[in-house]
Amino acid sequence: MKINTHQFGEIEFTEDKIITFEKGLLGFEHLTKYLFIKPDDSLFYWLTSIEDPDIAFPMFGIRVIDDHYPQEDNHEAFAIVVLNPDPLKITANLKAPVYINQNSKSGFQKIIDADKYPVYYNLFTE
Amino acid sequence: MLVLTRKINEEIKIGSDITIKIITTSDNQVKIGFEAPKNIQILRGEIYEKIKESTIEASKAFVQTNLDLQKYKIKKV
Repeated sequence: MKINTHQFGEIEFTEDKIITFEKGLLGFEHLTKYLFIKPDDSLFYWLTSIEDPDIAFPMFGIRVIDDHYPQEDNHEAFAIVVLNPDPLKITANLKAPVYINQNSKSGFQKIIDADKYPVYYNLFTE
Repeated sequence: MLVLTRKINEEIKIGSDITIKIITTSDNQVKIGFEAPKNIQILRGEIYEKIKESTIEASKAFVQTNLDLQKYKIKKV
């Protein structure tokens, strides 16, 4: 299968690489099939929609910044990142993590209704 | 929209497994209790909207990935 993406140009992949989000993501409930791509030289993963290849979400593994973040069995927690040319303005959404199981190829989004987890968490400092 | 009037401690059922109860009221605040199956997410409306907005923002911020992050540190929670 092939898709033409905004971010990476044309990507060829096999069906076993598809990660399914049964309920989609908040605001993107209609998109349920994704590829999860990590460029070698990048800190970020890209959750790229197969159904709408112009849509891709940069993601960051939350484990790297928080040892005590709420876990889900067999899933790894990722934050959706809002990129910015100024790294000090790059934020990660810790309020609505995306949990992905790369073995079962499934994922879901959860909302953690606790004040300590902001929607816009500044990921970098000088 | 269905509008119902309830007194303190009275309940509303939605289907057979969701119960909403009015706990207390004051001038312009209502405290409400919810009982629902675990897979039903209960959220304040403005949080839902804020998350949706940030996700849309994330999908549009196509900054090239060759950001020079060398002189920055990742901030731990």
